[in-house]
Amino acid sequence: MIAPSTFAIASRDELWIRGALSESRLMHGHARQHGQTIAASDARDERLVVACNQAIEDARATIAALDARVRVVARATREDDVESVETTITISIGGVSLVTTPADAIADYELLRSLSGSKPTSLRSLPIVWQNGSAAVLLHEAIGHAREHDTKPVAWPEWLSVDAPLVSRRETFRDVPLPRMKHLIATQTGAPFVLPDERIEVQLVAGGSYDPVTDVVTVNVAVSTAGPFTIQRTRTEIAAAISGAAGDPIRYPGVICSREGQELYVASHAPVMITDALT
Amino acid sequence: MSETYRKWGRVVRYENGVTVRVEEAGEASEIDEVFRAQPAQTRVSVPHLDARDVDAYMAQTLLSVPHLDARDVDAYVAQTLLSVRPLTIERLIVSAGIAKHETNGITWSEESQRVHLALIKPPLRVLIDLASFDIAIIETIAAALVRAGDEREPPERIRLAPNVSAALLPSLVGELAMEQAGGGLDGKGQPVETRAVTSDPPPNWYRPGYAIRPVRAWLNLRALPFGSIDAGAPIAVALLAPVEGTTLRVLCVDGDDVFPATVDAAHIAAVSRDTPTWYPYAAGSFGAEMML
Repeated sequence: MIAPSTFAIASRDELWIRGALSESRLMHGHARQHGQTIAASDARDERLVVACNQAIEDARATIAALDARVRVVARATREDDVESVETTITISIGGVSLVTTPADAIADYELLRSLSGSKPTSLRSLPIVWQNGSAAVLLHEAIGHAREHDTKPVAWPEWLSVDAPLVSRRETFRDVPLPRMKHLIATQTGAPFVLPDERIEVQLVAGGSYDPVTDVVTVNVAVSTAGPFTIQRTRTEIAAAISGAAGDPIRYPGVICSREGQELYVASHAPVMITDALT
Repeated sequence: MSETYRKWGRVVRYENGVTVRVEEAGEASEIDEVFRAQPAQTRVSVPHLDARDVDAYMAQTLLSVPHLDARDVDAYVAQTLLSVRPLTIERLIVSAGIAKHETNGITWSEESQRVHLALIKPPLRVLIDLASFDIAIIETIAAALVRAGDEREPPERIRLAPNVSAALLPSLVGELAMEQAGGGLDGKGQPVETRAVTSDPPPNWYRPGYAIRPVRAWLNLRALPFGSIDAGAPIAVALLAPVEGTTLRVLCVDGDDVFPATVDAAHIAAVSRDTPTWYPYAAGSFGAEMML
């Protein structure tokens, strides 16, 4: 017999526009699962509310000076007696955004400011150099989500290793827990790396998706030397296009992963990576 | 707005094999341009919940919101699972909810049913969204999908089934004569009156949940009937992808042939006079057969 599992959450969600509070939400609740049935209510767990209030108070000190649209979410959860607190900050300037944590918010804000003024060239079919750890998003869709759907294996480069463990996660007390990525860390060992003379350099990615029915990965590039563009390729095509990588994994500033309408933060790291043309 | 909006609700939701019962109450207000939302403090809080606390907590009443009977949901799920065989269900979400709202001294209640079904016949996926436990439409679409062949060019003249036209309608605001269908109250408790949809700011407010800031929106869109429908023309019976602008990827039925096609639906040639059906697209959309 499967023992019942419990989940409790308190979260604070605030939207700040150029230093002024625009929206503030408190959410709390509890869910208990017996087999295939979940009973959920907005029961308030004072300890979790205090924990998320403290977390968002700490984050406010960081975001107060940011001249941007800033959404900060502090979540305190207890899953079968294991408690955790997570704070994520989404910073948007000129329609381009990144997701970060209080520890990295200032540095990532400066990165976003520096990229928002970049002047792209016209888009051509060229090899792509994935900077800033942005290859993590490509691999998140092509490897991480594919694993969630238990799809057939694809031959990835032998020098590439991807750690993307699936754990049971849910966004709120109202949701059904699903096997989701806890994080994604891509590493390379002895990968080739020859920087193409002509190339597109990807800095930030707006989003992506994986369709298990067609096996097609979509990645929407937000900032690159060729401006925004979209990649739509099968996993086999993407695996075949990966031609090199260099260095240690770099923290990509944020992946909010949405599946079945549940948005969860997935910490993502990847080395600088090169792919053949995918446009 | 300075008034407080409150909502008490219960929902039973079947989601891919798991049944979730949710009960909650929330309140929202907007003061000095700051929107705030939080659970309504109509019940006790406890310092640290254990299972007995939760049982006691959930036994407290959500004011006068009645309990929901999950058997309607269970029965509909069972019917759906049977009616779509031998196709694969990628996603099935069925819910029934009951809610009580209060704002500006006005109190009102509503009941809702929602169905989302994604059916697979690789590489095709049909998407079905309904606001009632209608099994006939699912049977019709599943029967068509089973027989689906290869991609074709779109027919020159094609009908859109109501479930397809309803999804398209929000993209046609300003392009097609339509009205906001009157009835009920909006997200701020104001009556929803029948009005021609124009480029003016909509008179009503859309609030899909207590924690979502209400926005002005045209509610319950309804295309005005005109022209004539050719009942012999091929018909698009289901969406194969979400609507993008006025581009529809649809499953078409032409006599004995069933095929996927991509259709440009920017120009509507006729709208049926039949009684339309309400679908949960955007802030509500009535579907009636249309002719391209």
